[in-house]
Amino acid sequence: MPPAEATATDVLTVEGVAVRFGGVAALSDANLRVRAGSVTGLIGPNGAGKTTLFNVISGLQAPDRGTVQLNGTEITHMRPHRRARLGLARTFQRLELFGTLSAGENVQVGLESSVKWWQWRHVKRSFPWVKRGAAATVEDGPSGPGSIAVATADRLLEGVGLGGLGAEQASAMPTGLARMVELARALAMAPKVLLLDEPGSGLDDAESQALGELLTTLANGGMGVLLVEHDMELVMRICDYIYVLDFGDVIASGTPEQIRKDPMVQAAYLGTVTDTEADAVAEQSPPPARSATPEDGAGGARGADEEDDEVAEA
Amino acid sequence: MSNFLQFTVFGIMLGAGYAIAATGLVVTYTTSGVFNFAQGAVGMIAAFGYWELVSAHHVPVLAALVIVLILGASIAGAFVERVLMRRLHGASAERPVMVTLGLMVILTGMATIVWSPTTQRSVEPMISGQFRLVGINIQYQYVLIIAVAAAVAFGLRALFYRTRTGFALRAVVDDPELLGMSGVSPNRMSQYGWMLGFMMAALSGVLLAPTQTTGISIPALTLLVVSGYAAAIIGRLKNIPVAFAAAIGIGLAENYITNYIEPHLSSALQTDVQAAVPMIFLFAALVTLPSVRLRAVGRLTSLRAPRVAGGRESLVAGGVFLAVAVVAMLVFANSSWKGITILDLGAEVMAFGIIALSLVLVTGYSGQVSLCQFTFMGIGAFIMGKVAGGGSVLGLLAATAICAAVGALIAWPTVRLSDLYLALATFAFADAVFYGFFSDGRIYGSGGLSIGRIVLPGLSLGSDKAEFLLVTVFFVLSAWLVLAIRRSLFGRRLVAVNDSPAAYATVGLDIGFTKVAVFAIAAAMAGLAGALYGTVQGTVGTTDFDLFSGIIFVLFVTIWSIRTVSGAFLAALTYVALNQIWPSSIGIFAGLGVILIGRAANGILGIEALHFRLPWVKAPAAPPEALAMSTFSGAPTGSEGLSAAG
Amino acid sequence: MSDRTEPTSDGATTTVLPPAVSVRGVHASYGRIEVLHGVDLEVPAGSVFALLGPNGAGKSTLLKVLSGRMRATAGEILVGDVAIGKTPSEKLARDGICAVPEGRGIFPNLTVRENLRIWTYRGGISMKDVEEQTYDTFPVLKERRRQMAGTMSGGEQQMLAISRALVTRPRVLYLDELSMGLAPLIVAELYDLVGRLARQGMTIVLVEQFVTTALAVADHAAIMVHGRIDQQGTPAEMGDAALSIYLAH
Repeated sequence: MPPAEATATDVLTVEGVAVRFGGVAALSDANLRVRAGSVTGLIGPNGAGKTTLFNVISGLQAPDRGTVQLNGTEITHMRPHRRARLGLARTFQRLELFGTLSAGENVQVGLESSVKWWQWRHVKRSFPWVKRGAAATVEDGPSGPGSIAVATADRLLEGVGLGGLGAEQASAMPTGLARMVELARALAMAPKVLLLDEPGSGLDDAESQALGELLTTLANGGMGVLLVEHDMELVMRICDYIYVLDFGDVIASGTPEQIRKDPMVQAAYLGTVTDTEADAVAEQSPPPARSATPEDGAGGARGADEEDDEVAEA
Repeated sequence: MSNFLQFTVFGIMLGAGYAIAATGLVVTYTTSGVFNFAQGAVGMIAAFGYWELVSAHHVPVLAALVIVLILGASIAGAFVERVLMRRLHGASAERPVMVTLGLMVILTGMATIVWSPTTQRSVEPMISGQFRLVGINIQYQYVLIIAVAAAVAFGLRALFYRTRTGFALRAVVDDPELLGMSGVSPNRMSQYGWMLGFMMAALSGVLLAPTQTTGISIPALTLLVVSGYAAAIIGRLKNIPVAFAAAIGIGLAENYITNYIEPHLSSALQTDVQAAVPMIFLFAALVTLPSVRLRAVGRLTSLRAPRVAGGRESLVAGGVFLAVAVVAMLVFANSSWKGITILDLGAEVMAFGIIALSLVLVTGYSGQVSLCQFTFMGIGAFIMGKVAGGGSVLGLLAATAICAAVGALIAWPTVRLSDLYLALATFAFADAVFYGFFSDGRIYGSGGLSIGRIVLPGLSLGSDKAEFLLVTVFFVLSAWLVLAIRRSLFGRRLVAVNDSPAAYATVGLDIGFTKVAVFAIAAAMAGLAGALYGTVQGTVGTTDFDLFSGIIFVLFVTIWSIRTVSGAFLAALTYVALNQIWPSSIGIFAGLGVILIGRAANGILGIEALHFRLPWVKAPAAPPEALAMSTFSGAPTGSEGLSAAG
Repeated sequence: MSDRTEPTSDGATTTVLPPAVSVRGVHASYGRIEVLHGVDLEVPAGSVFALLGPNGAGKSTLLKVLSGRMRATAGEILVGDVAIGKTPSEKLARDGICAVPEGRGIFPNLTVRENLRIWTYRGGISMKDVEEQTYDTFPVLKERRRQMAGTMSGGEQQMLAISRALVTRPRVLYLDELSMGLAPLIVAELYDLVGRLARQGMTIVLVEQFVTTALAVADHAAIMVHGRIDQQGTPAEMGDAALSIYLAH
C-alpha cells in the first residue's frame, strides 16, 4: 500500500495543487500518489473538486499552485498532447468521443497518434493502387480492412468487450458501450497512467462487473490506474488505495476498509455523524493513519463550486 | 495643426458611427449568443430605406427616421429572432454563422434589385451646414453623430441599470435558465436583444450615409460598419465601454492613416490601403485574442454522418462520371445557352466543383468555416496569368503551391481561435484582399488578365472540348483526393479534431498543426481551381472573385451538403446555372436556402424525409438494436501500435 | 403540514391547500442518453419530500423535469390536478412553482439588490416587501446589498438563492443540493429556513446529498438509483437504507 513518502514506483505524483475559480477554491491543497500496478480511487461528494483535479493532471486546467509529476518528469505546465505522449491517458466524465467516426476509427486515432502522416511512406499507402506495404498490409493501406492498425483496433475493442462492433458509428452507441470505446482509445496509446472519470456511470451491473475485472487486469499488467467514481460498490471492490476529496482537500486516504469506517468520510457523504455512531466506530479500531487535514469540519464560508463536476446528468 | 484637429474631429465622428454599430453587435451577442454578420447589411438597408422615403417620396426627415429606425428596425429584429434564430437552438455552432451570412446576402441581393447600382444616390445630412470652431470647420452632421453615440451610450446604461427590461437583459446574459425560473421568458429577452441590435445597426447606417461623399453604395455601406466588428472583438463581445472606446480609436486611426500616410503613397496604392485598412484592424484584433481554452464539453452529436465511399467504389464512380462527361461533351459540342457554349459552362462547373470540394475538406470534414476560398481562387488565377506568360503547366503548379503557402500563413495565427472568430478572420482576409488587391487596376489590368489555354508539348488543348475534358479530369482527381484523405489517417484526424478538441489533445495530437495543414490543402485546391477557371474564361477580372459571391458559394455548398462530394458537385452546378439564368437573385436564393435548411447539418442531401437520395449516397444503416458487451478477452494495450507497420 | 392562508380581493382570508405533486412513469433523456427510466412518485400536499440517492441516479434531472427546465420524453406530471408537461418554466414560476437549482441560483454579475429585483418579476410582490423579508432573515445580505452577487461567499450566495423561495411564496418548492460546498453551520441555518417554509404551507421536494440533514426536515423520503425510485418510506426507514447504498456496506 502506498506509504506517505514517495517511492520509485510512483507513476503519478500530485503535490499541493490549488485552483481557484473566481472567489471560490475548487482545490485548496490536493496531494496524491498513484503507484504502478495499482488501482487508486478518488472519491468525494459533489463539488469536491475531483474533475478539476483530473483536468489539472491531464493539462486542461492550469493550477494556481502545486506540481504534477509523471514518472518523475514534471508536467505541471506541459500542454495536454505532450503529456499524452509521455504516457498519460484519460477518459471524460461527459463522453468525449469522435462521434462522426466509427468505434474502430476512434481507437485507430489513438493507435496512430505517433504517426507523422506527411511522411511519404504513409501518404503513398493511401493511393488505391498501392497494395503492398513493407509489413504485409493487406489492401487499401492503413485504413483498409485487414491492415495492422485496424487489426489492433479490433483486438483492443475485443479486449474491452466490444468485439465485432468496430464499424458502428460512435455517436450512435449507447452510453455504456461508448464509454468502453473511450477506454479502448485511451488504452491504444499504451499509457503508463490511466485516468478514468466516472467510467461506471451509465453502466448496468453486468457491465460494471466487467469493467472492474478489466481494470484489475490492467493494473496487474503494470499500469497505474486512477479512478474517479461514484459507484461505491465498484470502488470498494477493485481499489487498492482510496483518496477522499472534500472541499478541495484530501480529507482521508487509505485502504477501502479504512475509508469505509472513517467517520470523517461518512460525515462528508452523509452529513453530520451523531456522537453515538462516532463512538461506536472508535471502539472498534484505533483511528487509521491518514494524511488528512485536521478535523475541522466547520471550515467557514468555503464554497467549492465545481465547474465540470456537476451532476448534470443525474 | 488645424489639419490635425480637422482629422481628429472626423475620426471621432467616424468612430462614433462604428461605436453605435459595435454596441448593437455586442448587445445581440450577449443576449442571444449569436454574432450578427448581417449587422452591416441592416445598416445599409436602413440607409437606403431612409433615402427612398426622403428623396423619392418626400417624407419629412423626422417621420422617415421614426419609420426606419424605430418601427422598421425593431420589427425586423423581432422577426429575425422569432423566425430565424429561435429554430437554431441546439444546432451546431456554425449554423448561426451560416444563417446570419444568409441574411446578409439576402439583404444585399434584395437591395441590388430594388436600388440599381447604376444610379447615384446621396443622402442629405439630417442637420445640414457647418460651423467654425478653433479654426476648423465642423459639420453639424458630425456633431449629431457624436451626440447620438453619446446618447446611445448613456441610454443603454440607463436601460441596463435602471429599467426592468434592462435588468432582465443583464440577467439573461448571466443565466437564461434562472431568469426563466424567475418568471421572465429568456426568449423574449433575446428578442429584445435582436431588436436593439438592429436598431443600432440602422442608426449607424443612416447617420453615416450622409458622410459618403460619392453617394451611398450597397457594398460600401454594408462593409463600412465592419470596422465596428473589430471594436466589438476588442471588447471580447461582452464589454460595451471597451468596444465603444475601441471604435473611436479605430475611427481615429483609420482617418489618420488616410490623411497622413496615404498621401505619401502612389495613388493606386492609396485606394488599396484605404480599402484594406479596416479589415487589417479586424484581423489584428482577432489574432491578438487569447486562445480558446480546451474544454471537455461532452458534445456528442447524435447525427449520422454521411457514409464515405470506399477506395474501389470511388474509383468506379469517378470513371463513370468521366464517361458521362465525355458523352456529354460529344453531344453538346456545338450548343450554346444564353450566349455561352455549353462546354465552357461545363468547364466552369467543374472548376467551381473543385472549390466546393475544398470547402468539403476544410469546413465539412474539419469544421472550420472558411469564407476566403474565392480569394485563393483569385490569387491562383492571377499567378496563372502572370507566370510564363499565362497558360503554362508551371503556372498551374505555381498557383497551387503559392496558395498553399498563403493559406498556411493565414491559418497559422488564426486556427487557435474559436469557430466564430476563425470565420471572421477569413472574412477579413477575403475583404482585405478583394478591396485592397484585386480591385487595384494594375492586378488584372483594365481589360482583365488574359490567361491562355494550357500548352502541353505535343498536345493541343486549345479547343473547348479539350479544355472541358481537362478541367473535368482535374475535378475527378480532386474528388478522389478528398475521399482518399477522408479515408486516410489524416482524414480521421480532421474529423476527430472537429468532434472533440479536448479528446484530440489528450490522445497526444497537436490541434494547431492539423488545422493549418488542412487549411493549406484547401487553399491549394482553390488556387488550382482558380488557375483552371482562368484558362476556361480566357480573361479574368476583379468581378470574378468578389467577396459576396464567395460567401454565397459557401452557402450553396452548405445547402446541398458540405460533407459529401455529391453535394459539392450539385452546389457548383446550381451556382453556375443560377448565375446564368438570374444572377441578381443568387444571393436571395442562397440566403433563403440556408435559412430553410435550419438545423439540418447534412443539407438537402441529408434530409431523409425528402426521400431524395442519390443511389450512391446510401442511407446510413439503422442504429444497432441490442448491442451488448461480450465477455472481454483479455487486456491488450496498443504497444504494438503501428511500429510494426513502419 | 399546514394550510396557507391568503388574502382574497375582498380582504377576507381563505385557506388554500398547497398542491400535491404526482409523477407517473416519467422518462427523460439528455440527447440519446436516457437518465430517467420511469419514475413514479407521490408527494403529498404540503409535505416535505426528500429525494436521496448516489450521484448519477437522476435526482437533479427529475427536479429539472418537474420545474419545466427539461421536458419528459414520456409519462406525466401533475401539480394539484394540472398536468404541467409542456409548460415553460417562466409560466410555472408565475403559477407559484419555484425551483432553486443546483449550484448557486443567483445572477453573479448583478448586485444583491438587483437580484432581489429580479425576484419581483414573477409578479404580485413589491420590492419593499422583498427587501424587508430578505434582510430580516439574512441580515448579512443587507450589508452586501450593493455588492456583486458573484463575489460573495458560497454561503451568502446560497442565502440569496433561497431568498427567492422565501419572498415569492410559492405553492411548490424544489430545492436541489442546497448544501453543496457549504460548511455545516450554514447548512444548518439554511435548513432551519426550509423547516420554517414548510410550516408556512408549501409542498417541498428536496434533493440532498447529506442524508442526515435531509431526513431531519423531511416528512417522507425516497431513494433513487439508476434513474428509478428504489425505495420509499419514512425518514427513519430510509436512513439505514441510504447508508448501505452510499458506502456499500
